[in-house]
Amino acid sequence: MNPDFCYETARLGDVLCTGIVDVSEADIARFRSLMGYGDSTSEEVAPPSMGLTYGLKLGWEHAIFPPGVVRMGDDDEFGKPARAGDQLTTSFRIIEKFERKERRFLRYEMRTVNQKNEMVCAIVFVGLMPSNTKAQIS
Amino acid sequence: MKTSLPPLAPGQALPECRITITQALIDHYAEVSGDFNPIHVDPDAGRDSDFGGTIAHGCIPLEPVFQCLLRWSGADRLPAQTRLRFRYRSPSRPGDTIRAEMRLIAEPQQKLDGLMRFSFACLRQDDQVVIDGECDFPV
Repeated sequence: MNPDFCYETARLGDVLCTGIVDVSEADIARFRSLMGYGDSTSEEVAPPSMGLTYGLKLGWEHAIFPPGVVRMGDDDEFGKPARAGDQLTTSFRIIEKFERKERRFLRYEMRTVNQKNEMVCAIVFVGLMPSNTKAQIS
Repeated sequence: MKTSLPPLAPGQALPECRITITQALIDHYAEVSGDFNPIHVDPDAGRDSDFGGTIAHGCIPLEPVFQCLLRWSGADRLPAQTRLRFRYRSPSRPGDTIRAEMRLIAEPQQKLDGLMRFSFACLRQDDQVVIDGECDFPV
């Protein structure tokens, strides 16, 4: 956990957290149903957004998104799709801190690999940090 | 995975995909994603916020983009090294139906080495842009 994580404490390049999740056929079926996938795709292969979602979950669990942070946009790359039976390892780093017009931003990098160390998804996104707020906006 | 893609000319759009946002969808997505931020799941907190109500997690209105690409390509996965670059422009809320519009802007032989480049926008039912960006799709 990172209870004190914020713009000031964020250090470039440090791994903020790493976590492992197992993907089951039931997980995939649940996610496909939730997101409205039809019958045309396999239930053994996870939709691309599922790897993204599972990775972000780790970030929430480790409190690396300060309350009030606003996600501005992404640069996402997709690799090997996650499949039922895969074990996914995700890690987060901060790769840039910058200020513009008195606003502070962190650029996060999230990388998820499977048990063969093949890249599933690599996501870079910018978060606008809250100033001195306890607002609850993500 | 299919090896041949349906023909597409520059400027041509992919078949449209949509997602209808409900509070139940947002609540279930919160469980899957672990993001229980009150702005998403607490109607009282949403009412007290600048948004005037709950808003969807960003990945929900993005979903039709993935489904457009999969439906068009006839595959169950994106090709390796598919890239998306996008910005969130405005929130989406329960009751919104978000559609993704994707258009080919460059064929591989024109400018890009082995890539088809699409522009895309995720729009609400009132045509307000929620997300816009580009996708590089390897071929």
